[in-house]
Amino acid sequence: MRSIAPSSVWVICPAFNEATTLPRVLKELRDAEYKVVVVDDGSSDDTPRIAAATAAAVISHPINLGQGAALKTGIAYALSQGAQFLVTFDADGQHRISDIACLLEALEGADFALGSRFLQGSQQIPLIRRHLLRAATLFTIATTGLCLTDSHNGLRAFTRRGATALSLRQNRMAHASEILADIARSGLRHVEVPVTIEYTRYSMQKGQRTADFIMILLDLFAQRLYR
Amino acid sequence: MIAQAILSLLLSGVLVYAWAEYRRSPVVASLSVAVSLAGLFFVWVPSESTRVAEFVGIGRGADLILYLWVCISLIVLLNLHLKLRTQQDMITRLARAIALANVVTPHEDVMGAVPDVPQPQTGAPPAARAHRSTQMDDQIA
Repeated sequence: MRSIAPSSVWVICPAFNEATTLPRVLKELRDAEYKVVVVDDGSSDDTPRIAAATAAAVISHPINLGQGAALKTGIAYALSQGAQFLVTFDADGQHRISDIACLLEALEGADFALGSRFLQGSQQIPLIRRHLLRAATLFTIATTGLCLTDSHNGLRAFTRRGATALSLRQNRMAHASEILADIARSGLRHVEVPVTIEYTRYSMQKGQRTADFIMILLDLFAQRLYR
Repeated sequence: MIAQAILSLLLSGVLVYAWAEYRRSPVVASLSVAVSLAGLFFVWVPSESTRVAEFVGIGRGADLILYLWVCISLIVLLNLHLKLRTQQDMITRLARAIALANVVTPHEDVMGAVPDVPQPQTGAPPAARAHRSTQMDDQIA
């Protein structure tokens, strides 16, 4: 079995005003010996300073562009640094560091490993959130043909080849659907890996509001119009 | 007569605009020309609009023009939206280029991320920042 050295892995951590959770997340990532690039998306708090204390690289967008744009910036940087494996990891502390290893293991037979909170049973997912995610998943199956259980999970891993195949033109939150569309188009293999999402009050506040899903649909629709 | 003069003036303005715009987007310019010419025609021969309206099954000429106006506004809105998206796209690329030109790599000595670059201040405190430009124009595109 090929084992992936943590030092060949770049973890891309988009962060917008995450000074509360960032220190813990970065410390755990560093303890696991991953290379971390924090993309500070125009934060107004201490995020860039905190990131500079721990991360291997900090990239600061001069203005807030959105998570999709931050991911693209981070991926471009990691690729330029010769990353062989790339992981996207939310900075709000909702992911578990130990899940990264499972994703990387899954990259053995695939170019994309996508975290799914629905693969293992008994997880505490708020009811409304659960239904919205189901709807998003159905939307994904209908538009991309990918059979996934969780279309909007921030924890993903790509091989270099996989990351190169992503276009990421959606600046805001519609990038999650866009990544899946790119995966479907690339024809490369993908797998889903069970991961745990920690729903804290903080992550629920910071994360998507229910109304944001409407904006996501609009963004996706607008892109169809002028592609 | 006063209303007709004012409307004619405005519509002529649209014609001039269309002429100036033609090189940038022929489609929009041609549409503007068509609309303003039709407008001029209806302004000076209002009875004709009623005839056209009756022909397509709408009661009055004024109604016909109102409906057309709504459609035209929607098309203009869409066009503006697309322009905004293009602008946003350009701003994104600009911001990304600036960000990637100013990557902060505080622990280069510890992490050894880029071996081919001279290492900054060995043993510097963790908070010390080492600014370094990174050449990666090929990645940004």
